[in-house]
This record gives sequence, C-alpha cells and structure tokens, in this order.
Amino acid sequence: MKQLVLPSLLILFLLVSCTQPPSSVDQASLSLGSFTENDVDVSIQLEKGLQDVSILSATFTPPDGYHLYSKDIPIGGLDGLGRPTLLELSTESQIKAVSELMESVQPQIPDFEPKELLVYPAGRITLSIKIELPAGDQWLDDSVSVTYMACSSNLCKPPVVGRIISVRIPSANTFDTPYHGKEIPNE
Amino acid sequence: MNKKVLLTLAMITILACNFLFPPARSEQVVTSSELELKGITIVRLRPEAGDLQTMLTEESQKATALGQIPVVEFDASWCPPCQAIEQSLGDKNELMLKAYDGTYIIKLDVDEWGWGDSDLHDFEFDGIPVYFKLDVKGKQTGAVVDAGAWNENIPENMAPVMDKFFHGE
Repeated sequence: MKQLVLPSLLILFLLVSCTQPPSSVDQASLSLGSFTENDVDVSIQLEKGLQDVSILSATFTPPDGYHLYSKDIPIGGLDGLGRPTLLELSTESQIKAVSELMESVQPQIPDFEPKELLVYPAGRITLSIKIELPAGDQWLDDSVSVTYMACSSNLCKPPVVGRIISVRIPSANTFDTPYHGKEIPNE
Repeated sequence: MNKKVLLTLAMITILACNFLFPPARSEQVVTSSELELKGITIVRLRPEAGDLQTMLTEESQKATALGQIPVVEFDASWCPPCQAIEQSLGDKNELMLKAYDGTYIIKLDVDEWGWGDSDLHDFEFDGIPVYFKLDVKGKQTGAVVDAGAWNENIPENMAPVMDKFFHGE
C-alpha cells in the first residue's frame, strides 16, 4: 500500500503541473466602462498584450435576434442605410493605435435586402485595436467613442453615432500594478 | 412726368414679380404627398408644422373624408426594413398595393420626432417600422403592428400581414 502512495502522489503532482496556468490576458484585463443605449450593451476593456502593446476592445451585445453592421460600411451608412460598428480613439487621445480595427467575427452577406449591406451574425461582437499606452506611471483620463446600430431582419433600433465614453487608463508602467481587474483609482 | 411714370412702372413690376414668383415660404409644408398611388394616400408630418395631435386629428379627418383608414407609420432614412417597404410600394408591387388599398399613411420620421419622447402622445414602440391605426379624431385605436410580425421583408410576407392589419377587425 505504501508503495502505491508515492507514485500516486507523483502522478497527481505531474497532472497539476501540466494544467494550463490562468491566461495572462485575464490577469491583465481591465474594465474601462460600460453603458446601455438603444438596447445594446457596450463594454470597454483594456488587456495587456505582448511587450508594450495592449489591446483596447469594445464588446457590443444587441438584443436577441438583432445584428450589428460591418465596421467597413460608410459612417453615414450604405446609401444612408445602416451604420458601421466602430471603436475609435479621439484625435487628442494619449493612446496610440498601432493596428487597424479588428473584429471577433467576420461580417457576412445578409439573408435580406440590401445584400451589399454587410452585417455581423446576430449576437455579440467585439472590436479590438492594438494600442501603445502613454509612457509614465500615472493613471490618465482619456476617451474613446463608439458607433453602432442594431437591427433584426425587419426591425431597427436607432443608431448611436460617435458616443464618447470617458475612460481612465493606466500609463505603460502602471498596467502591471495590482489595480488589474479591480477598481480603477479616481485620482 | 417721366419720374412718375418710371416710379409707377417700377411698383407695378415689383407687384407683378410677387404674383409671378412668390417668395418661398419659410415654414415647412405641413404634409407632402410622397407617392402617387391610386387608393392610397401617403403624407409626412414635420414637427415644425405644429402640434402632433392637432395634425393627426386633421389628417384623420381628411382620411375619413376620402373613405380611407388613417394609420401612423414611424420610419427613418437609415432603417433598411422601412426602406424595403417603401421600395415595394414605389415599385407598385401588386400585393402591396392591394394590402395598402384604402389606407391613409401618416409618416413620422423618428429622427425628427424622437423615440419615446413625451410629445409623441403615448406612441410606444421598441423598433421601427411600426404602424398605429387611428380613429377619426386622430387617436390611437389600440391596433398596432410592427415588422416583427413577418419574416423577410418581401411583399409575399409583408402584404398578407398588412392587409389583415389594415382591413381586418
């Protein structure tokens, strides 16, 4: 019996060692804010990426059965129809974008007219952009803006265009502080 | 003598100009017919023209005088389903023309009138396009339908639902 205990403990130890450590992204993820307008929930997150690059994301959750429009349709819609889904930095932002806007799912040709008006599949969509945070070790006030419009195949909610969201962001050296996933300091 | 004649001529010319080329009205036209469709009247109301309820009463009375059913439709230029419906009427689709026959559609753009604003007189809705039947006084009868009542926005789907809404009990 004693002979079995040691190998069992060894196997257990190895199994525990082999399991994946918690994702570093989860550890270094910061919720910057959220709101609901025209029945779409929007949340803004900041995630620590590799080296000096972080990832700024906006997750849009429309009502059941509703879709959002491709980020690539014109800001004023296609012939005035629809509005793009966008996450944008303000021109005065201290955050520097180092990539184009990325989407969690590819837009598709809708089952309904107009077919040229590309939509995301019904449901949640996340847009992300790789960014560089400003140098330093302070928390800074900044803002981002979002644009979206939710429709089902035959009903629409009003568009939200360029809604500004005030955010408090860490500077590059601050992002590794214990504030991750916790309350963002006010001052 | 010449001065008097010239002055008179100038005044006559100015007066004539006013009759021949009347100055544009600064206020918005209350209603405007958008489509020339037999048996169907489509008008659009604008907030600048006055109080909504007063205008709805007037339009409902006009509808009744024409023997048509007054219906409010909320729409917007950015709304693909709204435009699909308008397109099918513009294309004079037979199914849609039959469904809309005898209706007096009073369009209200949500960009102009707002969405759930207090001056909308209890028109409550979650999405557009949406239709409210009115009585002869321009009040809601309680009959409401929105595009969620059918599937894809094609006349084959829309027309039976709209026909029943407009002409049913």
